[in-house]
Amino acid sequence: MKELFEKELKVINIGLEGFAETLKERETPVMHVRWQPPAMGDADLLSLLDKLK
Amino acid sequence: MVLKSYISKNMFRDSVYLMRLSNTVRGFAGVLEAEVIIGTDHNKKFLQSGGLWSEEIEKEAGANDLIIAIKAENEEKAEQAIQDALAELNKSVERENLLGEFVPRTFETALHNFPGANMALISIPGRYVEREADQILDAGLNMMIFSDNVTLEAEIALKNKAKEKGLLVMGPDCGTAIINGVPLAFANEVKRGKIGIVAAAGTGLQEVSTLINNLGEGISQGIGTGGRDVKEAVGGISMIMGLNALLEDEQTEVVVIVSKPPDASVTEKVLAVAQKSKKPVVVSFLGGDLNQVSAAGCVPAATLKEAAHKAVCLARNEDASGAVELKVDDNLLKEHKGKIAGSQKYLRALYSGGTLAYEALLMLQGIIKPIYTNLNYKGAEAIADVYKSTGHTIIDFGEDEFTQGRLHPMIDPSLRNTRIVNEAKDPETAVVVLDLVLGYNAHPDPAGSALEAIIEAQQLAAKEGRHLIFVTSVCGTDSDPQKRNEQVAKLEAAGVLVFPSNADAVAFLAALL
Repeated sequence: MKELFEKELKVINIGLEGFAETLKERETPVMHVRWQPPAMGDADLLSLLDKLK
Repeated sequence: MVLKSYISKNMFRDSVYLMRLSNTVRGFAGVLEAEVIIGTDHNKKFLQSGGLWSEEIEKEAGANDLIIAIKAENEEKAEQAIQDALAELNKSVERENLLGEFVPRTFETALHNFPGANMALISIPGRYVEREADQILDAGLNMMIFSDNVTLEAEIALKNKAKEKGLLVMGPDCGTAIINGVPLAFANEVKRGKIGIVAAAGTGLQEVSTLINNLGEGISQGIGTGGRDVKEAVGGISMIMGLNALLEDEQTEVVVIVSKPPDASVTEKVLAVAQKSKKPVVVSFLGGDLNQVSAAGCVPAATLKEAAHKAVCLARNEDASGAVELKVDDNLLKEHKGKIAGSQKYLRALYSGGTLAYEALLMLQGIIKPIYTNLNYKGAEAIADVYKSTGHTIIDFGEDEFTQGRLHPMIDPSLRNTRIVNEAKDPETAVVVLDLVLGYNAHPDPAGSALEAIIEAQQLAAKEGRHLIFVTSVCGTDSDPQKRNEQVAKLEAAGVLVFPSNADAVAFLAALL
């Protein structure tokens, strides 16, 4: 964690875009991920995908 | 009256954005009710129970589709509302483009395009968190999990994995953190300084960090853990890692721990680490055993204000051994006691910050009783109907019963505003208590919004010959987007009492009642 405290915070924001916007506004480096439920939200398909990994 | 729906295939927006958009659409001309929502099974049930169901939704909408459901005065108004909602959605795409030239759809792509990223902020539906968080740990990033509804098993697995890798997991259900001076999610703009905080209570971290700032000192790090971290099953993994990190951190000279009382085994573990510290450690386990804290060589604090004050004293090498007194202005007390009628007997505390509501309950138990509340607290009575106050009432509007399908009251205070007006209609209401929580991602003008309701409430009470006392505290700093000084000035101009902290506000109540 020492390393975290010593470096500039660079944030990957996954989910609510408002959180990325406020970071952007105060000039914190941020990349927003427009996340969507994987496998179109289909639980069976998702477990298949995870097996393929 | 007509019901009309529109389904946009393969369109996804986050839930907070959609709740805001739903609020906007409800304000369109001729619209009686509206929801803009993703077509998950849970959401579809919600539409069904809310009377916004249609055959089209039943047949066409899936979990990856966006539904616009409108109840309007007539066909034309409904159609117009759908068109205007679609225009708003398009605007959001344009706005997103401002976030950067490139908006990836997955964490992997983001990481590839954003080398050196060291923190992930996760706010996706709880059931998907473990899958995402696990790969984020594999990539060596720390994380803050804002999402709730993550299973206990997932929390334990993620935290153990993170511990092995020396990475920090804040949350799940972590609303506030300040890392390297950067406020994450619901946090305030505070000065950097030499006081480090680790907290299992979101608004607790906001209250302590802003009070420290307002007393002239600053924060090195504000680490959140999520409330469940201090339960025996999780064992305080994040709290202990955070505490150790602050004890090792050169910028941190004083450490503050804030939490509701952890489970006994976790308290022991946390205090054992604190006991070995060469740095002073202030511990505020709200409602916990102060003697146990003292016995571990730590500085006990009964309230969040006391934690902030003692930390500031210690940062300035001043004595912090005595309790921090909460002084009540006798003249102010006399003036307000004289204004309330004999029938006005009761306190109605309407909180948006859970920890602040809990602190109020803790301070008032034994002084006034019974207290009816929706908080889970041994010393108080469970309220029968959360929508209707009875006797002395303390309500946390951030609890699940108020936030299902709605924005948190710190973002959208409309439910609480309605309640303020309702309290004024009750001849037994003497004093209404409100917390106004400022900071990033909160409502842009909490004071302005509350004042609309306060003024209406005051007029209603005045018509019936009563005077209502409004007691508030404003959790925030002058550097917050809403500027604390401006918020306070607005409230005071309307005759609202504003106290420097929640504990000060509650001390006034205790004396008044």
